Amino acid sequence: MRKISGIGGMRLVAMRELRERGRSKAFIISSVVTLVLVAAALVVPQLLGGEAVTHQIGIVGEDNEPIVEAAQDLAIAEAEEGDEPELYETVRYTRLDEAERALSAGEVDLVLIDGATVLQERTGFSGNGLVDTVQRAAGSVRLQRLVEENGQAAADVIEILSSSPLEVVSLDGEDPEGDIRPVIAYAGLLLMYIAILSYGSWTLTGVTEEKNNRVVEVLLATLRPWQLLGGKVLGIGLLGVGQFVLTIGFAFILVNMTDALDIPRLPIDGLLFLILWFILGFSVYSVSYAAAGSLASRPEDAQSAAFPMTMLAVAGFFVSINALDDPTSMLARVTSFVPFTAPFVVPIRQSLDGIGAVEHVATAIVAIFSIVLLVRLSARIYAGGLLRFGRRVKLKEAWRSAEL
Amino acid sequence: MLLIEGLHKAYGDIKALDGCSFSVQPGRMLGFLGPNGAGKTTTMRAVFGLLTPDAGSVSWQGKPIGPDERLRFGYMPETRGLYPKMKAADQLTYLGTLHGLSSSDARESAGKWLERLGLGDRTTDQVEKLSHGNQQRVQLAAALVHDPELLVLDEPFSGLDPLGVETMAEVLRERAARGAAVLFSSHQLDLVEDLCEDVAIIHRGKIVKSGSVVEIKDSSPVRHLEIELTNPDARLLERIDGVIRAERDGARHRLLIRSDVDVRGVLGDALASGSIRRFVYTSPSLSEIFLDTVA
Repeated sequence: MRKISGIGGMRLVAMRELRERGRSKAFIISSVVTLVLVAAALVVPQLLGGEAVTHQIGIVGEDNEPIVEAAQDLAIAEAEEGDEPELYETVRYTRLDEAERALSAGEVDLVLIDGATVLQERTGFSGNGLVDTVQRAAGSVRLQRLVEENGQAAADVIEILSSSPLEVVSLDGEDPEGDIRPVIAYAGLLLMYIAILSYGSWTLTGVTEEKNNRVVEVLLATLRPWQLLGGKVLGIGLLGVGQFVLTIGFAFILVNMTDALDIPRLPIDGLLFLILWFILGFSVYSVSYAAAGSLASRPEDAQSAAFPMTMLAVAGFFVSINALDDPTSMLARVTSFVPFTAPFVVPIRQSLDGIGAVEHVATAIVAIFSIVLLVRLSARIYAGGLLRFGRRVKLKEAWRSAEL
Repeated sequence: MLLIEGLHKAYGDIKALDGCSFSVQPGRMLGFLGPNGAGKTTTMRAVFGLLTPDAGSVSWQGKPIGPDERLRFGYMPETRGLYPKMKAADQLTYLGTLHGLSSSDARESAGKWLERLGLGDRTTDQVEKLSHGNQQRVQLAAALVHDPELLVLDEPFSGLDPLGVETMAEVLRERAARGAAVLFSSHQLDLVEDLCEDVAIIHRGKIVKSGSVVEIKDSSPVRHLEIELTNPDARLLERIDGVIRAERDGARHRLLIRSDVDVRGVLGDALASGSIRRFVYTSPSLSEIFLDTVA
């Protein structure tokens, strides 16, 4: 019989969590569902968008064809490379009421009357792209006529009007990802929020279950509470990080392979920081959830014992959304140093270049120290709470009665 | 030897342990007796460091008990607990590795114990799918899987059917015969008398009697004497000095007498009278001693 080191005992606990949870139906199903959802979110719009669109334009009266032809020219000129340009076809109606009927029946997308009026089915909340294109086409037709009628002077005006807009560069140089970065940061944040809360709740219910089915007394006869706490957090954490990295990596590959989202590349540094902060965030929440779980004997009580932590996560999430708009605000700066909110706020600020390297390192150090402190606090609460069965144990009571 | 010395533990005003001391020898079985709430579970938990006593000490082979010593102990807590969704063999293997076995040794031992306890065909069943009695067998296997030198079992017999009791008793006897120190609590006093060499009786947190079963019975101040006479009018019984209580059922007399009564003299008289059919002289049962002690 060998002796078991402190870390050795923790490793055994972690391995059990990995083995038992990793092959549980709940884990396998949730992993598959996540991957399917990611694939659906990234690939389905791509598939739908790939098909060439044909617009049916109803026309009544004179002077309509040049506008439709101009719209077709615009569509060809603006089509992305590799994409089929949108097509414009006309359907002629002799009477307006026939055209109106066709429009309400959905046979045509809009009706053009005498080259002067556009009839659409209803006014939408968001602008109608088709109407915009037709408007621009009508404008260009008018300009063309102006040139034909007035010669060189008008051509000069058009030259000026259609010359390139000002070139825009930013201080940090060329930034092709500029527009898409908040979207990626937001998506990463959302994934992290969901991941931290769901894996955190695994820890919470796992601890309460061990207490509820009393296996904890058998375990604590050989293990010390911190080994059980550490092993559980580590095991579930590895599983969570594994699933998280799998999801993010899968999305990364999918985006870069299929050109979904139309971005040149995903910033790899942002990805690594997201994973780092996921690990820190998970540790903060998981350790605290474990302490909360040890106070409850029944799963129903566990959620209410964990309520304060869940509220902190929600607060962190909202602060980070605020940081999307203003990554250098006082609120964002302060919450970057609070271990419960930093995991949400810092990656957002990093992705928007709203945090300097020194500040970033400082927030990470604060988070790591807080985790060490939290492990000690939680281990004590855990030790005090674990063997007190029945009603929910008060925090103070657990703290005082920590025996082990 | 497990040595428990002067344990004190109070919860607020309640004294759970008030100077509890006794010892358990290797190769022997000790029955730990006491009314509910006397401090049995608290004492056992102290052995495993599940609580820290206010005063007193627990040692094994002369050394204070730490994590390394506990690896060689087996524990069956009063409130049974296993992972309900884990397969029986996996669970025992895990607990074996927690006690320092390699995973292959732990797996082999888990299989051996499940086989031995009649669960050889249920090794891959989740524990929650087993009957109550079978779960109890897995719980016993969990305490035994690492071949412990000290076994501590809190009410191992409660809730078992007679067949289960027999299996449990047989396993405990065998463990003790192989040199393990066995400590278990029970309210089934006849079973304890039958099974254990030693007992310790705890009452209000204090050990009020401890020692070998034989010694304790011998040191009792009373004895039972049962005499059946063919001649009901024989005046034999009147001559016995030291009768505490007498009952008569036809020709059969049941007497409770002081232990210092000269029973040889009584037997000689009885034989001389020629009317004796039955003569039984016994120490009181453990059960009586227990009731007397804690009443």
